Amino acid sequence: MFEYLLRRLAGTIPVLLAVSLFVFAFVHLLPGDPARMVAGQDASFEQVENVRRELALDQPLWVQYGRYLNQMAHFQLGRSIKTHEPVAVMIGQRFMPTLWLTVVSMVWAVILGVGLGVLSGVRRGRWEDRAAAVGAILGISFPSFWLGLLLIDLFSVRLGWLPTGGYGDWTHFVMPAFTLGSAVAAVMARFTRSAYVEVAAEDYVRTARSKGVPERGVVWTHTLRNALIPVITLTGLQFGFLLGGAIVVETVFSWPGLGRLLIDSVSFRDYPVIQAEILLFALEFVLINLIVDLLYGLVNPEIRLK
Amino acid sequence: MTRRVMPRLLLAAALGAGLQTGWTVAAHASDLTVAVSDNVIGLDPQDLNDNLSQAVARLTHEGLFRLDRNMKLVPGLAETFEANATATEFVFHLRHGVSFPDGTPFDASVVKFSFDRGGNPANNLKRQSLFVMIDHTDVVDPYTVKVTLKYPFGAFPADLAHPGAMIVNPKLVAQWGKDFTRHATGTGPYELVSWEADAVKLKKNTHFRIAGLPKIDTLTYRSVAENGARLAMLQAGEAQFIFPVPPEMIKLTEKNPKLALFDKPSLLSLFVDLNNAKKPFNDIRVRTALNLAVDKAAYRKVIWSGYADEQYSPMAPGIDGYVKLAPWGHDVAKAKALLAEAGYPNGFEATITCTPATISKRTAEFLQQQMAAIGVKLNVEVLEAGVLTAKLYTNPAPETATIQMLVTGWSTSTGDADWGVRPFLWGKGFPPVLNNFSYYKNPVVDEAIEAGLSTVDAAKRAAAYKIVQEQAWKDAPLIFLGQSHNLAAYSVNLKGASIRGDGQFNLDDDATLN
Repeated sequence: MFEYLLRRLAGTIPVLLAVSLFVFAFVHLLPGDPARMVAGQDASFEQVENVRRELALDQPLWVQYGRYLNQMAHFQLGRSIKTHEPVAVMIGQRFMPTLWLTVVSMVWAVILGVGLGVLSGVRRGRWEDRAAAVGAILGISFPSFWLGLLLIDLFSVRLGWLPTGGYGDWTHFVMPAFTLGSAVAAVMARFTRSAYVEVAAEDYVRTARSKGVPERGVVWTHTLRNALIPVITLTGLQFGFLLGGAIVVETVFSWPGLGRLLIDSVSFRDYPVIQAEILLFALEFVLINLIVDLLYGLVNPEIRLK
Repeated sequence: MTRRVMPRLLLAAALGAGLQTGWTVAAHASDLTVAVSDNVIGLDPQDLNDNLSQAVARLTHEGLFRLDRNMKLVPGLAETFEANATATEFVFHLRHGVSFPDGTPFDASVVKFSFDRGGNPANNLKRQSLFVMIDHTDVVDPYTVKVTLKYPFGAFPADLAHPGAMIVNPKLVAQWGKDFTRHATGTGPYELVSWEADAVKLKKNTHFRIAGLPKIDTLTYRSVAENGARLAMLQAGEAQFIFPVPPEMIKLTEKNPKLALFDKPSLLSLFVDLNNAKKPFNDIRVRTALNLAVDKAAYRKVIWSGYADEQYSPMAPGIDGYVKLAPWGHDVAKAKALLAEAGYPNGFEATITCTPATISKRTAEFLQQQMAAIGVKLNVEVLEAGVLTAKLYTNPAPETATIQMLVTGWSTSTGDADWGVRPFLWGKGFPPVLNNFSYYKNPVVDEAIEAGLSTVDAAKRAAAYKIVQEQAWKDAPLIFLGQSHNLAAYSVNLKGASIRGDGQFNLDDDATLN
């Protein structure tokens, strides 16, 4: 087990290297001149050239990539072109708000989504199933932008119960987590239902039922356990996506998260920040995949790792 | 210490006496929150070129001069100055008894340090251009500084009122080095408490040179990107001043008696750059026709919901030396005749470039529709700001420049006439030197711009800028569209907050919040 973990973690290094090369190329091929962006409209030509030299943007690309790799090898992310702030500090300040929002949103969304999905699966065709379907369609189709603004108008402006936005105590989490989680819950519910229905049609479920296993056992042990495998995969993916920062929700609720940082840095051509953020996302996905693989074994001992 | 105890004492007194007013005093410590659209980029005044960061730097720093809320030049850390007749030598007399919040005294050596730092190319600060004309700075005595310029520069005092020329604390520069921009705080009315992610927190500078001011205890400057969210903060009482407010949201603020609307003309002139070096815009008849083809009143109504003014000069009103000329008017028949005379009886096809910003895009589409009336077919090209910048500056030769028409504008950051016209009208200011993206070059204008720079004599300067305005207005190097307004909203409890003409948040030293 330990050896397996080590092997998997070592396997992330080539992945991250490949990602770093790809991101570096992508970022530097974007049209746009960070030196000009930094120096600003009022700057003279010499000043722009000075900035370019200072940022080493006048060097050939392979030299710049070498410097970048060298930095990475020393666990340094460099400084933002835009604010001069160390990239590690910038990401550090925004990582926890993003992580917490993701965790809170995912927890309620997964519990509700899987619960509703199982309910729909067990009672398929009945009113509970139909109601859940309507709820899910609403959840998926309601634009989070609009939902967010409606919530703010109701709970902050009219009722004055919750703050309009920003990162702080639990009251700050209610509306963003609801907005962010509602679409996830809807997707989870539909996905769980179809996974459940598919497994419920398997031969071994019929066998279990015909040999007299009580209905509760059929639902929980035989059907749900197996149906959970794809659900876990989806949860992992969703988690990874949300960790990348939910740009719309962050914008509506002024949440100091990674999504807005990425958008800002792309529009400013803040190369070090873009590179570091995408590398972080890649690392997060690699780790989430690893956790998902481990969870498979927990749910179904048959696919436990050798 | 006293500040922490005071509200409690008041509260206790109020509870004892059962006074309702006591509650109000205790509950409303004057904590001001300002919500703006973008993020603060830095706090080092000499290394900033965005309005938002400069506005914060202006709360924590002061220059030898400053611009008041009406963009008028007033003394700051300098009390008086003298200049020689050729505008090459300036002597500044400084205020006595001023110090930074950490106790570092403000004197002539600090001024010299600031100017030397800002102008040193090795430091590579964004506001170096404000100091390039300085040859050397001498400390005459602790409260007198003499600055010798390399060439005549009549706008020097106005130059020093620019936020980029504000005086930095030498001790903090030495202490923080590269990180200075995250910790800079000067002799201004407020001092920096913290800056994290999207909030900059300031508190009253108890060492401020004017005793008893400021009256507001803390100030939080928060970045809230979404227009609706900013408005919600104001409505919910979480913010007391929000900027900007898009024209279409004004109605929402008008309904609430606790809110007030700030609506004043800005120094931002709105126009479209035309590449004067290339066909078809190298013909003055074509440029005149385009100017006549635009229904400016419709433009103000459709694009700005009426929150914009007619334009009467290439320079914005409110700048010293502004001359009000006859407006361009709207005359489609004459425009058509001029086009025919220029050899385009059936019009022509051209590309108009804009950014993805709503206003920019809508302006391009509006002009597309207006130009159709005179047979000019415009294709709208939307370029993301970074791509556009690269395109404008990397291929700058007028003949090979790829942008034909560009939706843009100009707003001076110094409040002086020179910076109000030179960046986009000077024949020596083609990109990448300055922002003359229309490649306009008229020797009459160039000579006048240079004459205006070479003297401090107000009458001579005014005469020079009159020539610039009249000639450039006639030459129509751009399509003149209008003057924009600054729109903000605030709580009626806040007094003394405004947006200056240049688009910067301004808080008077004696501003109050109840």
